[in-house]
Amino acid sequence: MKRILLAGLVIASPLSAQGYRLRLDTRFQAIGYRGLELDSIAVTDTVAGPSGGPATPDGFAVRCPSGAPYCLFFRPGSVRHGAPFVATGDLALWGLGVQGVSVHATARAAVDFTGADALPGTDPALQLINGYVEYSTERATARAGRQQTMNRLGTIGFDGAGLTVRDGRRGLEASLYGGWGLARGVALPVTSPALNPIDDFQPARRQLLLGAAAGWAGRQGDIRVDYLREVDPRSDYFVSERVGAAAVVRPAPAWSLTGGADYDLAAGWWGSAEATVGYTVRSVAASVGARRYRPHFDLWTIWGAFSPVPYQAIQAQVAVHAMPRVQLRARGERYRFDDAEVETPLVDVEQSGWRGELGATASPAPAWTFDAGYHREFGPGAASVGTRASVTYAPEGPYAVTLHGASLDRPLELRFSESVLHLYGIDARVEPRQGLRFELGAVRYAEDRRRPDPAAIDWGQWRVTLRAILAIGSGEDLQRLPPARRRMPGGRAAR
Amino acid sequence: MIAFLGLALVAVVQTPVQGFDHFQHKALFPSCTSCHAGAARKDASLWPEPASCAACHDGTIEKTVVWRPRSTARRTNLRFDHLQHATAATNQPGTCAGCHTEVGQPRMVVRGPVVQRCLDCHGVRVAHLAAPDSACSTCHVALVRATALTRRDVADFPAPPSHAAANFLSRGGHGAVTRVTVEKSCATCHAREFCYQCHAGTAPPRAVAWLSSDPRSTAIAARAAPASHGDNFADRHGHEAASSTTRCAGCHVRADCLECHRPNAASGAGYHPDGFLSRHPAAAYARETSCSDCHNVGAFCTSCHTRAGLVAEGVLRSGYHDTRQFFLAGHGQAARQGLESCASCHAERDCLPCHSAVGGRRFNPHGPGFDPGRLRRKNFEMCTVCHGAGVPQR
Repeated sequence: MKRILLAGLVIASPLSAQGYRLRLDTRFQAIGYRGLELDSIAVTDTVAGPSGGPATPDGFAVRCPSGAPYCLFFRPGSVRHGAPFVATGDLALWGLGVQGVSVHATARAAVDFTGADALPGTDPALQLINGYVEYSTERATARAGRQQTMNRLGTIGFDGAGLTVRDGRRGLEASLYGGWGLARGVALPVTSPALNPIDDFQPARRQLLLGAAAGWAGRQGDIRVDYLREVDPRSDYFVSERVGAAAVVRPAPAWSLTGGADYDLAAGWWGSAEATVGYTVRSVAASVGARRYRPHFDLWTIWGAFSPVPYQAIQAQVAVHAMPRVQLRARGERYRFDDAEVETPLVDVEQSGWRGELGATASPAPAWTFDAGYHREFGPGAASVGTRASVTYAPEGPYAVTLHGASLDRPLELRFSESVLHLYGIDARVEPRQGLRFELGAVRYAEDRRRPDPAAIDWGQWRVTLRAILAIGSGEDLQRLPPARRRMPGGRAAR
Repeated sequence: MIAFLGLALVAVVQTPVQGFDHFQHKALFPSCTSCHAGAARKDASLWPEPASCAACHDGTIEKTVVWRPRSTARRTNLRFDHLQHATAATNQPGTCAGCHTEVGQPRMVVRGPVVQRCLDCHGVRVAHLAAPDSACSTCHVALVRATALTRRDVADFPAPPSHAAANFLSRGGHGAVTRVTVEKSCATCHAREFCYQCHAGTAPPRAVAWLSSDPRSTAIAARAAPASHGDNFADRHGHEAASSTTRCAGCHVRADCLECHRPNAASGAGYHPDGFLSRHPAAAYARETSCSDCHNVGAFCTSCHTRAGLVAEGVLRSGYHDTRQFFLAGHGQAARQGLESCASCHAERDCLPCHSAVGGRRFNPHGPGFDPGRLRRKNFEMCTVCHGAGVPQR
């Protein structure tokens, strides 16, 4: 009976919560772009194209499946319009009568006013990202509900419960959580039709998830080990089973050594790993490191059986305040894939690549910021080279304006789609009063697609974005802060 | 956390304001208390009468000087009292010079008290700001009681070295200190509002409730990004966050993470730079970062590619890879290197006509690192997709 009364108290007490914070973030975007449409032509109607391959009489390169009486090709489709509107609510309640109890929820409502769902994420219309009750003391934190937990293995979503116990003096912490898992990279269950537009092998039931973690945090460093298993309850087979570790070591002021690795217990191979040495002082931030990347696929797909190979990379970056108001940046990475062990005499693709970037930021006056950058990358599948620049005027008043532009050259390795893109746009922000902010953005993509055939479609487009953020709340923390600190939930600056 | 202690001393006390040249007048005044009688007697003023200056500085003997003793409370957070010290230190000769004259300097070369001298007498054998947490209250009152200090004074409090420690923001850093000495050390420079700059939007830790309220405390910005948050930190934060997520929680709430890790359909530029939409094929093929941490391939990549016409629906549209005449016959290397990119347009069924053990061309797709025994144990069903009931036992 006592438990029932306690539960009732917890449920009812939000009505009299002493502290709450609500943040409403609404965004609207208008876009229009031209896609591709599949077309076909009889083999007998094709002609020889400029490269000797088959083409349509009006110049489209075509592909003729072996033995088929027709050939396939893409031609420019109609312009697709989209107008997604997304409202995200972020709510926190505390002071519920039981010290340490709080309620947190983040939900999203989305609709595409054109009905075309031209951008991903508007289906389903309602999504619960987070929604849990938390009880926290100095020694332990318990949560129940929909949660997103971040660790070395990624952002793990699930509906269930978790418990974290800690010894603050020794810096020790251990967690255990479990429930019904969500799909990777989205707050939807794997059974959601919105997840799999080409619907192969989609599970009929949600996976059961169990995770555990243990860590230590101290003055000289931190370390944390995570274990995660996901099981299909219908068959009792694994969907995924991984273990990962991440660590930071701080041997001396300004120096840090960070690293981590994960191992796929189900596939029996190492996944991704990194190790970086960093040096950060007031005027210089630099790091050098090595990393390895291998994608992870759940076992309810068969992609993992195709043996994705990892690549190894070395990377370095440095940012220097050459003058008090000028920062210079540079970064670079070189990588090489492991041998794929395939014999492809007819097709050979790049096996290694590199990326590089240079940049500078100057603030000659308090209200003005100039930023410019140059990047170049080359690797398997695609390459790009581009420049960008922006000017921001942000006086102490409640508004800021940014003008930006960029250019991009984008050759693709496996497709005639080399294009030159010019981009220019404007972003503006105004805060008419505390807790209310409006943003406007408009950007124009102007593309010159240099294909050798008529499939050089015009992909140029405008994208216009409107955003409004309203933050309200009550609670001792908010009331006692000066106005400048009350603008956003949690007293944080604009985000 | 001793930290807080030092702040005030340096800012307020250690600022020597010597408008009066004591050394020039050394012959006139045989003792300090002849002018500063209040330092030794309860019923006297600490300052001389202006008339006693005018006795000489009358415009005839000496030039006229206009001086008046301070009438307002001194802007300090010291709990120092001259009379109390004079009484307690009667067995130490030369008490005034002991604090106001450097060692080896002649009489009447005076200055404001040297902080280290205070620490020496009180048994604190380290530098001012490195003093132990419990030592702050020896010389300082809590901020809330230092009513004469302005926001500017509070903003100028120096941060002690302990605050620069890499783990200071963590639960085991300042969190551990506050649980022990919040009233004796933290309260010297901070009040509840200072803590609320970060600990907001949820039930505050117990230590915060122990502090008094004082709006001046927000003159110290609590949210200055730590040194690790340098350039490109968005790309590098994964290691730090994964090794100790509680460290991040000192300043961030989960919604901060979800802004990028669960982007919405109407999001503008955020984590990615301008024009990334056009640049993303190059970044995605070799996974500059792990796209699937934030984007689900099925819900994000494939659905968008479907709408743009860039997806296979039942037939292999190899015409898309039109720079390679025989791409279909030699796609293996590209597939193993960029399988996530393949999956953003293709479904598994596109592969099965050739890569099935029970039909089609029966090309074996398994490559380096493939462990059939382990996968068979972990998920036998996956094997049956291609092998049917005849899954090889070796």
